[in-house]
Amino acid sequence: MTEPTSADTRRVAQGALDRVRFEEEALELSDQVYRVARHLAGSREDAEELMQEAYVRAFRSWQSFTPGTNLRAWLLRILTNLNIDRGRRKQRAPQMTSLDEKGDYYLYDKLEEAEGRPLDEERVIEKLSQDSIVEALTQVPHDFRDVLVLVDIGDFSYADTAQILDIPVGTVMSRLHRARRILKRELAEEAVG
Amino acid sequence: MSGYAFDPCERCEEMMQPYLDRELTATEMGEAETHLDTCAYCRRRYRFEVSLRRYIRTAVAEPMPADLKAKLSQLRIELQ
Repeated sequence: MTEPTSADTRRVAQGALDRVRFEEEALELSDQVYRVARHLAGSREDAEELMQEAYVRAFRSWQSFTPGTNLRAWLLRILTNLNIDRGRRKQRAPQMTSLDEKGDYYLYDKLEEAEGRPLDEERVIEKLSQDSIVEALTQVPHDFRDVLVLVDIGDFSYADTAQILDIPVGTVMSRLHRARRILKRELAEEAVG
Repeated sequence: MSGYAFDPCERCEEMMQPYLDRELTATEMGEAETHLDTCAYCRRRYRFEVSLRRYIRTAVAEPMPADLKAKLSQLRIELQ
């Protein structure tokens, strides 16, 4: 058995350092990852489990992350895949939501119609409660919601979202378009009936 | 809407979301901005969209539970 050379020792030490750095960066991003995970998963409990599973997988496969690329997107890709693996599509039934979405201006127009005059947009938004927004979001079917959450809550670009979900950019755009319209329809129903 | 081959407000509605997402080309951005500068109808709806997005982002923001953060740090130790 040959003695390890100083080059081997340096390589091992560098590997350990890289690993620690990766873990620290991943943990620093955990608040931001959770903010997205919370609404990708159906409930707080699901989000917590999903986060733990995703971080176990990330810590185990840290060497497959390419330094210098987007770590938050990499973590969310793991998390999104796990979420799909968990068979979330069988768990609840928001897929029953009709896809008969309205136009982009639908919510504004409904609120304005109810008000009877042009809206003060800041004031009218106060009519939408925090709970109604969270509830409306759960009514958006999963495939559409994933895109909406990544872009509007996670602040990812269309290209990053496409990579995370492994779908074409064109699909991101069409799902996002429909997701926002469905969300606005739900909010309009909530606010003005 | 005379003088236009298409309804400029309809076109503006189409561009509104990618405009807010900063995903339009420079030419399209210019087109959207020129229309918003001159059309009070679309401008009101644009301002509403801006406020709505900000409000949604704030409304759904939920801080990560402190014990979850501790659990994630613990996982790191356990896996070593």
